[in-house]
Amino acid sequence: MSEPAVLEMRGIVKRFPGILANDNVSFDLKQGEVHALLGENGAGKSTLMNVLYGLYHPDEGEIRIGGKPVQIGSPRAAIESGVGMVHQHFMLIPVMTVAENIVLATEPRTKGIFLDYAAAEKRVNELSERFGLAVGARDLVEDITVGMQQRVEILKALYRGADILILDEPTAVLTPQEAKELFEIIRSLTAQGKSIIFISHKLKEVLEIADRITVLRRGVRVETLAAEGATEAGLARLMVGREVLLRVDKQPAVPGDPLLQVESLHVVDDRGIEKVRGVSFEVRAGEILGIAGVDGNGQTELIDALTGLRRSESGHVVVGGKEHRNPTPREMLDSGQGHIPEDRQRRGLVLDFTLAENIALHDYCYPPDSRWGWLYPRRLVTRAARLLKEFDVRGGTPQTRASSLSGGNQQKVIVAREVSRDPRVLIAAQPTRGLDVGAIEFVHRRLVEERNEGRAILLVSLELDEILSLSDRIFVIYEGEIVAEFAPGVSEEEVGVAMTGGGRREAAA
Amino acid sequence: MEIFLARLPRGARGVAWLGVLLGIVAAWVMTPPVMLRSPVVPMVVGAVAVSLGVFAFTRGVRRLGAGAAVFGLLGAGLGLLTTQSGEAHLESVVVWSALFAAMLRYATPLIFASIGGMFSERSGVVNIGLEGMMLMGCFFAIWGADRTGSWAGGVAIAALAGGLLALVHAFFAIHLRADQIVGGTAVNFLALGITGYLFIDIYKDTGTPSDIARIPDVHLSFLKDWYFVGPIVGQLNLMIWVGLATIFIAWIVMFKTPVGLRIRSVGEHPRAAETVGISVYKTRYAAVTLSGVLAATGGAYLSIGFVGSFNQNMTAGRGFIALAALIFGKWRPFGAAAAAILFGFSSALADRLPVYSESGAVLFRSLPYALTLIAVAGVIGRSVPPAAIGKPYVKQ
Amino acid sequence: MSDIEPAGAPTGEGGEGRASAAARLAVLHRAGGIVTPLITVLVAFLVGGLVVVGTTGKNPLTTYRAIFDGSGLNWLLPWETCSDPCTAALNFQQTLIIWIPLVLTGLAVAFAFRCGLFNIGGQGQYLVGAIMAVWVGSSFQGLTPVLHILLAVVAASVSGALYGGIAGLLKATVGAHEVITTIMLNWIAVWVGIFLFGLGGPLQNDAQPWVPVSNDVAESAKLNVFWGDPILQGLHIGLFVALGFLVVFWVMLNRTTLGYEVRAVGFNPEAARYGGISVSRNYFLAMAIAGLFAGLAGSLDILGWQYRLNVNDIQVSTIGFTGIAVALLGRNTAIGTGLAAMLFAALVTGTSTRNLDPEIFRPELASNLTLLIQGLVVLFVGADVLILYIWSLRRKARLGRAAPG
Repeated sequence: MSEPAVLEMRGIVKRFPGILANDNVSFDLKQGEVHALLGENGAGKSTLMNVLYGLYHPDEGEIRIGGKPVQIGSPRAAIESGVGMVHQHFMLIPVMTVAENIVLATEPRTKGIFLDYAAAEKRVNELSERFGLAVGARDLVEDITVGMQQRVEILKALYRGADILILDEPTAVLTPQEAKELFEIIRSLTAQGKSIIFISHKLKEVLEIADRITVLRRGVRVETLAAEGATEAGLARLMVGREVLLRVDKQPAVPGDPLLQVESLHVVDDRGIEKVRGVSFEVRAGEILGIAGVDGNGQTELIDALTGLRRSESGHVVVGGKEHRNPTPREMLDSGQGHIPEDRQRRGLVLDFTLAENIALHDYCYPPDSRWGWLYPRRLVTRAARLLKEFDVRGGTPQTRASSLSGGNQQKVIVAREVSRDPRVLIAAQPTRGLDVGAIEFVHRRLVEERNEGRAILLVSLELDEILSLSDRIFVIYEGEIVAEFAPGVSEEEVGVAMTGGGRREAAA
Repeated sequence: MEIFLARLPRGARGVAWLGVLLGIVAAWVMTPPVMLRSPVVPMVVGAVAVSLGVFAFTRGVRRLGAGAAVFGLLGAGLGLLTTQSGEAHLESVVVWSALFAAMLRYATPLIFASIGGMFSERSGVVNIGLEGMMLMGCFFAIWGADRTGSWAGGVAIAALAGGLLALVHAFFAIHLRADQIVGGTAVNFLALGITGYLFIDIYKDTGTPSDIARIPDVHLSFLKDWYFVGPIVGQLNLMIWVGLATIFIAWIVMFKTPVGLRIRSVGEHPRAAETVGISVYKTRYAAVTLSGVLAATGGAYLSIGFVGSFNQNMTAGRGFIALAALIFGKWRPFGAAAAAILFGFSSALADRLPVYSESGAVLFRSLPYALTLIAVAGVIGRSVPPAAIGKPYVKQ
Repeated sequence: MSDIEPAGAPTGEGGEGRASAAARLAVLHRAGGIVTPLITVLVAFLVGGLVVVGTTGKNPLTTYRAIFDGSGLNWLLPWETCSDPCTAALNFQQTLIIWIPLVLTGLAVAFAFRCGLFNIGGQGQYLVGAIMAVWVGSSFQGLTPVLHILLAVVAASVSGALYGGIAGLLKATVGAHEVITTIMLNWIAVWVGIFLFGLGGPLQNDAQPWVPVSNDVAESAKLNVFWGDPILQGLHIGLFVALGFLVVFWVMLNRTTLGYEVRAVGFNPEAARYGGISVSRNYFLAMAIAGLFAGLAGSLDILGWQYRLNVNDIQVSTIGFTGIAVALLGRNTAIGTGLAAMLFAALVTGTSTRNLDPEIFRPELASNLTLLIQGLVVLFVGADVLILYIWSLRRKARLGRAAPG
């Protein structure tokens, strides 16, 4: 590893209305090193890198590449300066081929005006071999795996001559196996002289792959340290500023009768691909069943089918003693099911409605909210006022529009609504996505409380930590099937292996 | 030849397409020149078509199978209708060569507008304002030809007018991130107001000049005597040929050049395009302006190539039919053109049907609109638009 | 510590620059929501005035004053006296006569908009209602007026509802875009109407086979005139029906479960589904109710003052389209639509051949000027972000450096 700094960012300040995203942050990158940028959601990591990549203009500060000051006003300028970025949400066009995506905007031409597809493919294959990134140049992006899509993104940057690569939360969408492959690719890239900035909030990975680590907290650079000798707990403390509670306190479960039974459910997605293949399980009163899995293995379709938002090809669901085949959402709601959806802004709330109207979203058609089709807005408001107080929702009154609340408070409103309907079964999908630590603690505590009240809770989450800390029983879903069952206390490694389909064990009947 | 055979649909899909074909045949054999008179023929052929459609339907090819059944029923019905008509009437109405020539004439404004719409929508901007842009072309072509004394001047000024109106739509949709459908509707109002105002102001007392410079026809004398093809192609207006050429050029540009790739990327995933350095704003502005230019050119043909004069609101919904053709054709140039030609055929047929009934003839004028309605209701598969269409892009 | 999603911004994509300006706009909206439409109208009239100056060289203010007087709105001004017969009163009656169908076609568009649907089919639904009204009104003799009128109005409203429901059904079942389907339905209605009442058509006037017009509506079906001279087209009781339905609109949207569902679907169909609401059912119902409003408008016009349907009327009628501008300007609310309809009705009356002195401005030109102003209103309303833009420009000027957005 050589010494000269290939990139320096000094005194970067970036303001948004109401938020100081980057507060005088300085950051440097040495040639051939892997430098991790660590911090919680909202710490300012992505902002800083978007500044580097020209997507944001800094209010103050300067950037030097190779010792020379540069003005990066746009992604084009960043690319010209040798900076490439692989975004967390891939910037790939699904209906186009790998080759088209890679050469976009710098296409090779024949006769001046025509696109030279052959030359593009050739170049792609050359790069692919040189850096060990296996891709199929003619494949459509929407048909390839997530891991391969990521490789395409990296190739995109390399194709344009990037020497500095920014990877934004690259393992968020990968299986543990694919993450291992990614790390090898990173090592191979640094061996060839590239320098890498690795953004993450996952402590283990950062310790494994990085040479140096810079921790950001609330827009401020807290510390830059060598990875060697750092510990998880130490990093966590730097990230959050206090001791972090990594596990929720809870009593052991006392499960009762099964309240939710799923029998041989087969669900097909919008494109006709079977995503849930004969899943059967049951959730008993007073327990939390957690389903772990990498995104895209059928969790979304499973929940959609359970809640009536999607039809199933075969199989049925039993809730509250009644058998349901292809129910409507109204049916499932009426049979005592509650659902905390994974996308609170798209599904869980009507942002332009007031809090009172949102809380009534399921029950507006029943007394006391309405009678014979006539609505009583004042009763909605009274009920909402009570719930907002009980759940300590801040930021508004029953007449406030849902859009003005913060994410955490919005989630509280959803939880309040679902729980107050006294459901027998509560399905929670990604209940803490995008929330800050305080809100996460609240949701976790509440879920355990509801479990203790005797409800059956189905928890589906992409955060393994959450599953491990909350569940009384743990399933793993892989390619639409339940492939493993674990008791709490199992190690992350074991679950991780099952999540990638390795070592298949007895699926729960 | 092998390539053609290889690309033919197979299995149940092939059966369904056969059903569609037979449905068309069921009606076609009853018309001149074949003109069979027995009602058994269309019923049998139609029945076969329907059964093929049902067969395909049960094999999972649902939309196409249903379509084949519909075609079978329609074909049998139309065939039966022809037996009710006198042979003389049939022969005067169904003159295929004249029908096809008229079909091309009616289709050309639609072709121009729908190709224009393709560019705009492929870049992610919904363009409901094609109607208004076409109308601008209609009026300013007449005005331009009047002022400059030449049809080329008319066409040029028409294109300019359409482009300017499109620029307004582009500004509101792109920079101001307004609702694109409302904006398009506004553009149509504006065009109505502007062209109506200027028409009355300049031409009200005398009407548009009757000796206006018209777009010339292209005489292909060597073709004129060819059987069947001659009467159709031998004397078509220049703009019709330009329109057909435009289809090809649009296809090449959209799918074989970097420009087309960039336009499509902006329409599918503008953020991705921006991150590789493509200017989403500039691309969309260019695409929308082009759509205005093309739609106006179609309008210019309508006024100084086809009809020869201008009336207020003379586009009569053609811009929307062109939009429907675009959706029908899955946002591809050949598909949209094929749909436009189909709609043109319905207009051509509607023109000739008055020989049966004067007052009923009026009802036939609604045929293109009814056909569009059915088409949009999704007879042939659900079209997938560009992924980012209609969503305003927020630059950072 | 706050979390990553700035309140009110679109998820993820960095709309931060928009968030606070949008929040301010939302405050403006809620503060009676009158600021934006007011500014929109002013700008539209400004541009219209420029057009007047540019093309005719005349003073736009005199033109606008003449239009104002012609509309009869000056009758409302307490300081203006009126001679006998009072032309201002006559003009105002005319304006109100136009206001009646216009507010209803506006509501037809507004209701659909609340459900997230763009109903451009008001014209066709209006025509269908008018056709039905003229047919029922002229076909039955010897009925009591109350019964006859009720029959005609109900028939017209139901047909309008069914016609609108077609588009709603197509949207609900196959997802056909309502903009195109309603426009096509408009044209189909026009041609069917021309067929029905044209020469030789099935519903053409029995007594005058050389005029393409319908039969006259029977006396028992005509609506009473309560202000002005019935012979000179006075104001009929349809006014109260229109006012009543304005209230019905508000009540339906804000005090019924149907209205709750419609609004939920209009704001967020996915969340509505999640909440147990049937989105397709609401699409159909919204379009059907919208069609009902427009069909009702058609019947009130026929029974109130037209008394017959002429092929020419069918071809030149644009009241359904003006309804679009009305609804947009009125922000799809009850009060807004009522006021916007008044503005446009005044424009139509004020620029009509009867009321506008050709010396000041040629009336045929003026009607196109109205179209222009309408278009501008729709354009700017569709871009209430225009206000945001101007706002952000002011901020830039004040702060003196580049701000996001």
